[in-house]
Amino acid sequence: MGGLKRKSSSKTLGKAKQRKGPHLPSSILKAINEKRPLNSDEEDDELDSDDENGGDVYEYEDGVPEEESRRNNRYDRVDNYEYELPEDFKVFFQHTRMLQDVSGLPAEVFKGEGKSERRKLYTEAYPESEFNPTRDVLEGKDSVTFEELLAPLEGKPGYNELRKSFSRMRKNTQSVVHAPLPKPERERLDRKSVRGQVDKEFDKWVPLVKRNREAPTVYFDKDVNLGYSTVGAIASEFKPRTKFEMNMASVLGGNEVLEAHRNDGVSMEDHIKDHNRIAKTRSLLFRHEIKSKRMKKIKSKTYHRLKNKDLRLAGESLMDPELAKEEAMKQEIRRVEERMTLKHKNTSKWAKRMRSRGLDMRYDETRAALSEQLQKHADLSRKVNSMNDGSSSDESDDEEELNDASDQDTPAKLLAKAKEKTLKIVEDDEVPNSGLLSLPFMARAMKKKQEEANEEAKRLVEEYEEWENPDGAENPKNSVNVIGRRSFGETAIVEAPKESKKEANNFYDNSDSDNDMDGIEDNDVVAVRDNASPARNTGTITETEIDDVAGNSAPKTTFDVALFASGSWKKMTGCKNAESKKASKTHVPISQAQDKKESRDEESEDSESEAEQMVDGILTSASKETFEIPSQAELINRAFAGDDVVDEFEKEKQKVLNEEVPEPEKPVQVPGWGQWTNIQNKRGLPSWMVREHEDAKKKREQALKTRKDARLKHVIISEKVHKKAEKLHTTTLPFPFTSKEAFENSMRMPIGPEFNPSTVVGDLNRPEVVKKTGVIIKPVKFEEVNPNDKADDEHPRSHQKQRPKKSKKVGRGQSKVKSK
Amino acid sequence: MEVNTEDNNVMEKVLLPDEQEIDVELEAKEKKYLRGEGANLELLKDKKLKSQLASREKIYGKSAKYAAKIEKWLLPASAGYLETEGLEKTWRVKQTDIAKEVDILSSRKQYDIVLPDLGPYKVDFTASGRHMLAGGRKGHLALVDMMNMKLIREIQVGETVRDVAFLQDEDLFAAAQKKYAYIYKSNGAEAHCLKESGPVTRLRYLKNHFLLASVNKIGQLRFQDTTNGSMEASIRTGKGRTDVMEVNPYNNVVALGHSGGTVTMWTPKMQAPLFQMRCHPGPVSSVAFHPNGHLMATSGKERKIKIWDLRKYEEIQTIHGFHAKTLSFSQKGLLAAGTGSFVQVLGDSSSGSSHNYSRYMNHSMVKGYQIEKLMFRPYEDVLGIGHSMGWSSILIPGSGEPNFDSWVANPFETLKQKREKQIHSLLDKLPPETVMLDPSKIGAMRPARRKEKPTRGEIEAEKELAIEAAKSTELKNKTKGRNKPSKRTRKKKELVESAKRSFPAQEHSAASKKRRIGEEEAAELPASLKRFARKK
Repeated sequence: MGGLKRKSSSKTLGKAKQRKGPHLPSSILKAINEKRPLNSDEEDDELDSDDENGGDVYEYEDGVPEEESRRNNRYDRVDNYEYELPEDFKVFFQHTRMLQDVSGLPAEVFKGEGKSERRKLYTEAYPESEFNPTRDVLEGKDSVTFEELLAPLEGKPGYNELRKSFSRMRKNTQSVVHAPLPKPERERLDRKSVRGQVDKEFDKWVPLVKRNREAPTVYFDKDVNLGYSTVGAIASEFKPRTKFEMNMASVLGGNEVLEAHRNDGVSMEDHIKDHNRIAKTRSLLFRHEIKSKRMKKIKSKTYHRLKNKDLRLAGESLMDPELAKEEAMKQEIRRVEERMTLKHKNTSKWAKRMRSRGLDMRYDETRAALSEQLQKHADLSRKVNSMNDGSSSDESDDEEELNDASDQDTPAKLLAKAKEKTLKIVEDDEVPNSGLLSLPFMARAMKKKQEEANEEAKRLVEEYEEWENPDGAENPKNSVNVIGRRSFGETAIVEAPKESKKEANNFYDNSDSDNDMDGIEDNDVVAVRDNASPARNTGTITETEIDDVAGNSAPKTTFDVALFASGSWKKMTGCKNAESKKASKTHVPISQAQDKKESRDEESEDSESEAEQMVDGILTSASKETFEIPSQAELINRAFAGDDVVDEFEKEKQKVLNEEVPEPEKPVQVPGWGQWTNIQNKRGLPSWMVREHEDAKKKREQALKTRKDARLKHVIISEKVHKKAEKLHTTTLPFPFTSKEAFENSMRMPIGPEFNPSTVVGDLNRPEVVKKTGVIIKPVKFEEVNPNDKADDEHPRSHQKQRPKKSKKVGRGQSKVKSK
Repeated sequence: MEVNTEDNNVMEKVLLPDEQEIDVELEAKEKKYLRGEGANLELLKDKKLKSQLASREKIYGKSAKYAAKIEKWLLPASAGYLETEGLEKTWRVKQTDIAKEVDILSSRKQYDIVLPDLGPYKVDFTASGRHMLAGGRKGHLALVDMMNMKLIREIQVGETVRDVAFLQDEDLFAAAQKKYAYIYKSNGAEAHCLKESGPVTRLRYLKNHFLLASVNKIGQLRFQDTTNGSMEASIRTGKGRTDVMEVNPYNNVVALGHSGGTVTMWTPKMQAPLFQMRCHPGPVSSVAFHPNGHLMATSGKERKIKIWDLRKYEEIQTIHGFHAKTLSFSQKGLLAAGTGSFVQVLGDSSSGSSHNYSRYMNHSMVKGYQIEKLMFRPYEDVLGIGHSMGWSSILIPGSGEPNFDSWVANPFETLKQKREKQIHSLLDKLPPETVMLDPSKIGAMRPARRKEKPTRGEIEAEKELAIEAAKSTELKNKTKGRNKPSKRTRKKKELVESAKRSFPAQEHSAASKKRRIGEEEAAELPASLKRFARKK
């Protein structure tokens, strides 16, 4: 463009010169040009080139700047004169002088040369001919027309053709292609039109983008169709394509094959029935499996014991003889094994150790385990045919006899036998003289065991005797009989509390008084209500601790709170309370003494002791004695306690203020400085120091005035920064917010499920983008959006919208185009 | 538009007066649930933010409306009340009169338990009101299930018991004993002995923070974390011994009443009180907080009860002629004051924000009973009274919140729910620093500190002022040689320079210097390494 301009300027150098001087406004010039015939003279072309609106299409010209065009009279022309005249004059004078010198004519002759008389002779370099046409000819002005040239040829052969071709040409010339616009102009026009188009294109997206930007949540869940979901679906779509596939299809899907299938003998109904049956059995099997799994999971021993028992019983009743035989064989093998190994006869290392240490005697569990093993042994080593027998004697030798007995004898006889046996056992207690068992501790243990066994045996014998001579009703006896075996258990139960009691006693003896209540509370209610145990407790407590209330507290008061519900208005406690009252009365002197002691010990505890005196009020006779009228000094103290409270508070406030807003330090000079002479001393501190001090004072006062408690005399509000809590506040506003109010107001509502109905919690906590896994996010599609509609939450899933980010990109592109 | 208004008119006509009333009521409730106004969106410039906030507000509005509707229609119970006709006065109504009117279940809630020997009793209820703990001065601790009036456990600690408090629920409770405070399990077993805090006079528990606040004989306030046993704070109040301590239920700030008539407010993480108020000319005998946290009632030995607005630090009301040894606010805002053997219940007769407490009910115990502690039972219209002869319970209609929120406290809690809640509350435990006067400010912008450092702009302005001042100083006329114009200008320049120098160079200049140095260094680098130099 620049180059072009330069060219044009070099071409029309003269013109530029002319333009510089004062000239008519271009509008007038234009009018003149229109009036003047275009093809008048050679000099016209200069004028032509002068006016831009003449439309010389070959030459590009910038639009005349406004100040030059003078369409409006904003620009002072005089300025231009002033500015341009000197140069113009200079040029003019130079030129005229030169002409003067050359021609020798006076200057007046040449004066009007540039403007009024512009006639110049234009001499051609060559004679005018068809090879060297004049400019007029070239420009088609005032030139020979085709018609003129054709006229002489009229009537001659070929004329018509010539005319036709001429007219055709003419037609073509009428739609002549104009010379193209200069490139920049063309480009600008292009851009203009393109921009209009693009703007239109983008503007249509604006509502959509806006909606996406403003939507609280963008959803990508419309295109959830991920294709085939099953293999069957894929298979159903299959169509044979290759030759091989075709062949296969024809073979498989051929009529003959289908026919053969049909005639296979298996009808569809049969097939379905079969299928159903199989399915049913399968499901049954499955259920059974599940059930057995579940049963297997059960860990309860009782359950398994019962289950096994059931199974065994069922097996016995149901099993066919062969199986029973087999089972019997198995049992026999087990029995033999057991008899050979004596595995369950407490021969194991552990059992031996337990027995040798006498632990089985001490611990119930160990004993139970040992006896269980023995039981097992008995079970295993029992003869098969005696399985139904209820007896559980250990020795297999005796078993036979017993069995015999059980077969024949009556229960009475059986009992007699048993009694005899036990007595025998009781009687023969021989201690081995050698070996491990002869060791003293072993002997002791054995003895102990023996004693126990004896006791047991005696009890048994007693029982036997009872059974032997039954008196009274038989039914209770029977019931006893039924649980006869359990007599062991009962004894154990009887013994257990004894032991625990012993332990508890030990516990009391050893324990500190602090935690003594623990043990008591753990005992049964019965034990607590038992008068003996509290008595014991009181003993321990009073012995171990010297306390102000120990004496009174000792008797335990229990209140049957359940009685409250009966609706009676007031209820005194029962006899126990009375007892405790008595106790308290008896203890009163002690407690008082202790009280006094305590008050002497701790002088600061005056209010406490006072409260204690007030405790029982007027009702209780004991407390009447304890209540004392406060001394005169105390009364006075109390009366004047709050005398100078106000003053104290003032002082306190002053202190706090001084601490929080410290007073400025008094100006002090460096020692020895400014104290040379008396005058210096008299003058006092330098003025700047004093001023500074006063400023600081003023500042402090200002600070005090702005405090919250400045006007509240009765309040001191600390303005210390709660440093630990500072981390609970934000220092800067989070991103989109620009004002504190907006942020804090947006924070005011809780969004958790505890505070909001479930219908709203989802909306409150939905993420910005909701997308299902596997969904492909496609570029945003155009859709019509009513710009006046607000982003609705009610139909959020109706469209797949684009992520706001992407839409932002679109927006940016748009702006780029606009900026160009 | 016209059509719309017409429609509206029609709608208004259709609405019955009752419905209008309901609408008004619902609106009021909605406002309550909206928890204040939304931000003014018109002022926002960011369109995106504006639209987002607008949609948010819409959802909030929906939520509030829903909550209001639930409150209006679905809550099962309504609050109790005492209505009088004609010349009857509510405070003339006696417990016996009430007992005649109420149902059997409620009438069972009136009773006296007489335990004459073990001293004045302190009482405490769990948050759900299901369980009560009574601590006799002479060592008797009793844990009672109030629902079926079953004594769960009672123990005799054999020491003075000064105060009792439940911890998170009835599983654990604390007792301030002669030397130390102890924590017991509900079965009476001693779980902990809190030796660090010394002889404690008052115990209170901060439920949301799992802190056990205690003040001891020498006036030390201690906060002990009950989850890990750590001592969160040990504060010397410096105001001497006190046995008046209460926790503000709204913000968990602990208030202490002192013998000098002041009430001080404390948080675990500050050694100084948040504020102190001179409430009474004599010793403060008790303090109580309204459940909304804005009102505080104090009573002094000079026979006055005062009600304070804690937001304005102002006294709103003084009730003369009544020395309350103990004060207690109910959930619905009734104030009970007890002294000697007389209980007075004050009710807020005015509606709205202004408060005017006047007498609502009276109750006198048997003469000679000394009331030790009053406490309203949560979610029941019951006032528990611990006194020298045991404890009593009377009916105060309209004192308790009628509907419990099982998220907050559930009197009918099953074992499973209880366990779940224990875990949840442990997970939701708040750190001790969240105790502050206005807990709603948590998460908001940090309050502006008192300015310690002036901002850059201020420094600049000050500097300019100083320079101007230096320029406009009129120099004295000096002796002949020194009064030359050149000297004067030089002097002036010096003044200006010194004025400039008195302001330290700004930080950004230092930073730019650094950067320049970096560039210089880069220039010195060999050509191959130059590309690693920091670029602008």
